[in-house]
Amino acid sequence: MDVLAHVWLGILAVFQGPDAFAVAGLSVSITLVMVAAGFLLGIVVGATPGLGGPTAMAIALPILISVFGFTPDALLPVMGCLIGIMKGATVGGAVPAILFNTPGTPDSYMTTLDGYPMAQRGEAKKALRVAHFASASGDTFSDIVLILCAPFLALLVERHLDLPEKTALLILSLAFVAAVVGRSPGKGLISAGLGLLVVYVGTGEDFYPRLSMGTEALNRGFPIGTAVLGVLVVGAVFHQMAEGFASRSNTSLQPAPKAGNAGRLRWPDIRPLLPTMLRSAVAGTVIGALPGIGSTLAATIGYTTAKARHDRTRAPDAPRFGDGVPQGVAATEAANSAVSGANLIPVLSLGIPGNTAAVFLILAADSIGGFNPGPSVFRVTADAINPELVVAFGLFTCMFVANALNWTVGGLVMRSMGVLAHLPKQRLLPVVLVLTLTAIYVQETRIEAIWFTIAFGILGFGMRLLDMSPLPFVIAFILGAKLEDSARQAFAATGGDAWFLFTSPVAAAFMALSVLVVVLGARRRG
Amino acid sequence: MTTAARTLMGAVAIVLAATATRAAEWTPPGPISMLIGFRAGGGADTQARLIAQELEARHGWTIQPQQVTGKGGLNLAAALKDAPVDGTVIGMVVTETLGYNMAAAGAGLHPDDFTGITTTAGFQMGVVARRVTGWATLEDAIAAAKGGAALRFGVMSPRLADLAYLLGKAQGVTFNIVEMRGGKAVMDGINAGDLDLGFVAGIQAASVAAGDLVNLASALSVPLNQTPEAPTFATLGVDFNADGQFMFVGPAGMSTAARSAMSTAIAEIISDPQTGAGALIASAFGGPSILAGDALQAQMAADYDAAGALLAAASE
Repeated sequence: MDVLAHVWLGILAVFQGPDAFAVAGLSVSITLVMVAAGFLLGIVVGATPGLGGPTAMAIALPILISVFGFTPDALLPVMGCLIGIMKGATVGGAVPAILFNTPGTPDSYMTTLDGYPMAQRGEAKKALRVAHFASASGDTFSDIVLILCAPFLALLVERHLDLPEKTALLILSLAFVAAVVGRSPGKGLISAGLGLLVVYVGTGEDFYPRLSMGTEALNRGFPIGTAVLGVLVVGAVFHQMAEGFASRSNTSLQPAPKAGNAGRLRWPDIRPLLPTMLRSAVAGTVIGALPGIGSTLAATIGYTTAKARHDRTRAPDAPRFGDGVPQGVAATEAANSAVSGANLIPVLSLGIPGNTAAVFLILAADSIGGFNPGPSVFRVTADAINPELVVAFGLFTCMFVANALNWTVGGLVMRSMGVLAHLPKQRLLPVVLVLTLTAIYVQETRIEAIWFTIAFGILGFGMRLLDMSPLPFVIAFILGAKLEDSARQAFAATGGDAWFLFTSPVAAAFMALSVLVVVLGARRRG
Repeated sequence: MTTAARTLMGAVAIVLAATATRAAEWTPPGPISMLIGFRAGGGADTQARLIAQELEARHGWTIQPQQVTGKGGLNLAAALKDAPVDGTVIGMVVTETLGYNMAAAGAGLHPDDFTGITTTAGFQMGVVARRVTGWATLEDAIAAAKGGAALRFGVMSPRLADLAYLLGKAQGVTFNIVEMRGGKAVMDGINAGDLDLGFVAGIQAASVAAGDLVNLASALSVPLNQTPEAPTFATLGVDFNADGQFMFVGPAGMSTAARSAMSTAIAEIISDPQTGAGALIASAFGGPSILAGDALQAQMAADYDAAGALLAAASE
């Protein structure tokens, strides 16, 4: 079966999968419904300060799995819904940023700088339209790059990297994430080291449970959901609750300005935005393709690059960035949205998650089964269908369905979400906490899972207090088993050569780069 | 016969009839957790999930498959050992888990801790290599090894690692034995060029038919269905083989009704080539191989007792 046949099967799997309902005799597949539901939910959570895509994905995943089950048919509806949430949240984050000077998601902070002044001038609708147009453009650009790059990167790795080099690549990825996420590479390394320590409890190929201290509860190790949701979601909830208690008296929103009537974008409005958007989309895509660097940095780089260029080229009487310039909104939104597609390049081609959204997609694939992101996904043989490749093209189709929704109804839905910024965070957080713990119990059905999740939540809270990013912890937890397997296999394959990471030039180069990124990261911050 | 004896016999008959009826009409008291001891996406995992799907469709049971992988199925066995005995937790492993792996581990697990429900299929365990290597037989691979090539031999369990070692020993070569997570990972490794040859339990059939892969040997006591010309391990000088089956197992003390209802339901599904599971088992694993009840329990004990000989041979 050639690649085109797999592409076609992937598209059919989305459009002709199990039916949800029929309209005028035409059946609508459950995957399409779930992508749409995820996208709308994503806009809602993105527009709600205190929530965000990862929180919604974390809570939705166990519920989706309990609804759709563990069969291969569940992969596309569940992952399609998560992709919808991921994309919707990126768009929705701009709403409170523009209307209330309160970023709905961290990556839309830069949107406040020009979006809110525009809104104060009575151009709120225009700012929202610019944000939506830039976001949808950046997202679509990034998805196209993903589809073009992921298969080739996977084939490159499959053909040219041997077991020792694959091990070294995993080490490089972890070193890179540890060095670039957060403010200190040292803290990043500690975070990643903790993740590895925890994932190695109870696992391994030996016939005795490792690091379990003789306890029955630790024999099987920590379920992946408890560690990921505990550190990422419960830890964030604890931290936000603590912050809420500390600053209870001054949590008021900026007043909402009048919407104004400067609305529809016309070509003269769009044309000057295009070069800025393109540069931001490229920057966001490149950043997104690198593991660990999130959309917040992409937004910052997109905005500051556009600002520098604007300052150089603007007429003397033209407004500056920060005074309410549409390019400022467009630069931020195109950049942070361009991260989402490119983030899946390392996930699908190497099985390496780059950010929290990708972590939940891997978690979904891992829980449902039948799809193991990595180089083997893109293998094509003459005689048989590769079901994993069909799923991969199905996911690409889901992304374009979400993009189509974004272009058509996304703007309208987004502009109606202003009211959500009034939801009090202190009431939302307990709801998120209870939903997360319930979701964990639904999936694991044993009480230890709840204790593990709360313990990981306390760990995540402590990490945030110490200004240590929990992302390296989570990515190390996910990659830990793969790293151990790969290292064991490389060691065995080289006939027990203890120096297997340094004997091939490519592996040695990856190891040298691993040291280099940490050293450079430390010097940059030191 | 006294009235009391007749009354007693009547009561026994009623109880037996009621038990038989329950066996036929057994319904699980809740959702059934189906633990799968194999990596997601491989042949064994697919088999288990297709059986789960069909059990749901035919009997209205709710089956929740979940991966409990690692340590040759012993992680699953440890999780299953103290599970409820009402049929709500079952697991899919290979006979090797309750035989060689439990004996080798010495981790306090014994086949008596489990109830054998049914086997589903045997393996078509071949020693597989890529056609592009130019090897048509195992002799070609051995010649390459003797010519100085360090051959990487992929296996998916400690028992198979022992067999690969003994094969090399019998042929006068040393393989670099690489343990992978499941037969699909071995096949992926062979296709990617990370491994030179390795054990694959049946999912190689389509690629062998297409000419991409070649079965160099049968690791079974009998020739492979697809390539009967490939020599068996016995003819290659190895006194042991990889015979075994996929099986469903529950905790010890599982109710007879649950065990019987499940084994019957699973046997019906895998014997029907119209079902997804039946078709997969027919194409990849040489058709169903069903052993249930006391015969299966006896086989489990025998496999455990026989493990010592292979361990001793591989330790020499």
